Amino acid sequence: MRGLRVPRGAAFVLAYLPFLILFGVAPTIYALDLAFTDANGGWVGFHNFVRTYEDFRFLPAFKHILLYTVVWLGALMVFVVGLALLLHGRANRVSSAYRFLFYIPGALAGAAAVVIWLFMLDPTVSPASFLLHHVLGADIFAQSIAPGNLPYIFAMIAFWTGAGAWIVVMYGALNTIPPDLEEAARIDGAGAFTIAFRLKLPLMRKWIAYMLILSFATGTQLFVEPELVQHASFGLVPDTWSANQLAYQIAFRYADFNGAAAIAVDLLALGLVGALIIVTRSGLFRTEDD
Amino acid sequence: MKAKRPHVALASLAAVAAAAAALVAVSSGGASSANASATPSGSITVWVDAVRLPVAKLYVKTHPKVHVKIVLYDGDGNGATTMQTKIQLWNRAGKGWPDVVFTEQANDPVWMAQAPYNFAKNLKGVFPASLIAGWPAPSLSQCTVNGRLVCLQDNLAQEVLYVNKKLMTKFGYQVPKTWQQYAALGAKVAKEHPGYIIGTLGDSYGHWLYLWPDSCPISQVVAPNTVRINSADVHCTRMAKLLDPLLANKSVSTVTIFSPDFAKAYGGDDDKILLMPGPTWYAKDIFGGTLKVPAGEMTAAMPLRWNNEPLTTGQVGGGPWVVSDHTKNVAAAIDFVKFSTTSFAVKRKPGPLSPGYPSYGPAATLWLKNLNRDPYFAAPPGAAMKAAASLVWKGWSMVTYPDQPVWSNSVVTQLVAGKSLSDQLSALGSGLSNNAKAAGYKVVSK
Repeated sequence: MRGLRVPRGAAFVLAYLPFLILFGVAPTIYALDLAFTDANGGWVGFHNFVRTYEDFRFLPAFKHILLYTVVWLGALMVFVVGLALLLHGRANRVSSAYRFLFYIPGALAGAAAVVIWLFMLDPTVSPASFLLHHVLGADIFAQSIAPGNLPYIFAMIAFWTGAGAWIVVMYGALNTIPPDLEEAARIDGAGAFTIAFRLKLPLMRKWIAYMLILSFATGTQLFVEPELVQHASFGLVPDTWSANQLAYQIAFRYADFNGAAAIAVDLLALGLVGALIIVTRSGLFRTEDD
Repeated sequence: MKAKRPHVALASLAAVAAAAAALVAVSSGGASSANASATPSGSITVWVDAVRLPVAKLYVKTHPKVHVKIVLYDGDGNGATTMQTKIQLWNRAGKGWPDVVFTEQANDPVWMAQAPYNFAKNLKGVFPASLIAGWPAPSLSQCTVNGRLVCLQDNLAQEVLYVNKKLMTKFGYQVPKTWQQYAALGAKVAKEHPGYIIGTLGDSYGHWLYLWPDSCPISQVVAPNTVRINSADVHCTRMAKLLDPLLANKSVSTVTIFSPDFAKAYGGDDDKILLMPGPTWYAKDIFGGTLKVPAGEMTAAMPLRWNNEPLTTGQVGGGPWVVSDHTKNVAAAIDFVKFSTTSFAVKRKPGPLSPGYPSYGPAATLWLKNLNRDPYFAAPPGAAMKAAASLVWKGWSMVTYPDQPVWSNSVVTQLVAGKSLSDQLSALGSGLSNNAKAAGYKVVSK
């Protein structure tokens, strides 16, 4: 049996493999090559990394994305899991209506969603202008996007566009929990709250870890949101707010593809470290018989 | 994994660009009537911003022998780096360069003319010398990089003082001649007519309007690749001190005139703009168009001077045309620039075809005559504009990096939060120095 499983799985993987190599692995190798060489292709060791680290925009950019990622992941973990658990306790019709509602914003392409948010954040046209006034103290757009607000605003945009899809995934995860387990718990006297937190939550742990790994990588690679807000605000937001934007500027404003590649590799390393921590902490790849 | 989000961004940007290009990609089709053999023909590609689009379309209409592909882009406005990105990609691909490019950034030709971009063509000897003579000397020197004439300004953008004659008369105020009188008036306005304004610092080019005219040395090229940036100079600090109370009493706004917030608060039939230092291209276009200030109110006065010191003023843009060094159709490319900058069909009167003060002298004369006749203005604004053209302070040089983003994100964001301008000067200076160094300049303070 075990010998058969490999080729059977390969059939599924094969269709994706060329794309993975072409658009995933090859660019990564190219970036690694660029990061350790100079414009003429000569080996320079860690010179590009040191150089970009010393750039005056490097540390602020990484600080921004780390704060943003923490806020965003926190919101994802609490609200996505919370909402999925709530929905799972509801009657099927109600819950599917809500799942659909949560999912809609995610159906908008990234850039379009940000454009909607540009209106949401402008108190003169926003339907939520009272919130902007009371929560952010903003009466004009420039105040809504004050530097201190940005990590939270970008996290809010990303949550709004991405959470729906994860709620659907989590709901699917909850459906895999055998009903007898729940029934047994109920017979033992567990209430809805206990069932959600003591039974369902531990069984969802791997899916939560999966969500965090993928989100951590996309979070640290933030680009579209700050870029569009920068344009819309006539430059009130720096064009190097996130690390990915900095890499983009270094590549195209200063014609320094090697420096840009170094930052890309930094981000890759950051994503890998983040994933490693989550995997080891959550036992994501531990199988039942371990 | 690494490039996931930028790919999304690039793909969507590319889609937007493609859609925009498709929308405006107009071609003249087959020409039937054969004119003189000297007429340019063949095809060219031109990249323009939205403001220059009507001119490009007019060229297409009037030049059926030339097949023009028009691509609309952001014009590099507010320090965007669209052209840098594109030119690098074209250079890497070894093809695809457009023949003519318009940019809103007056400093763009500086980097376009140098390595690694090497994009801008030397127009000396290619563009008719008799026409070049029609550009004012400061404009030509701004377009000269390492002795090569690498661009021609579309319009001059000297700063004047716009005056709402109707409101000033109604309130019984005198038009200020000096910054000191301006400050005194601001204090009075705040007390007697709160809500009315005499200017705004919130534009991405606010420093060009308020620090440039007082000769604040924060963009002064003093030697090759050496820029003087000293925001602690008295010419910066004294202007900041003068403006601080006006910001505090709200007679000077911190909102950009291009935002809906500004139009709502200060524009419209009951507009609240008493005075406004601004470039020549504001005129009817911004006051009448963007801000909907009714006819019969606005005019222009001479720029403000510092006490009785010699009068100097600032500048906001004056976007140039650049011809690609890679063009295969020099005749048509030059003809296009000639048409856009010097033809009276384009430049004779203020309007969508020529919102700004024409840089080509003979056209400017005609343009001013028509501007003065425009019933939109409460009084002819032309004389002040003409005088201001030669008063732009020459100590503010064009450099390879854009300085507006630094002003916007290190100063305007703080002004919006209620801080004073004086407290932001050091951040402005260090922000500019960092950018200058990153662009390869040596920074000095003296």
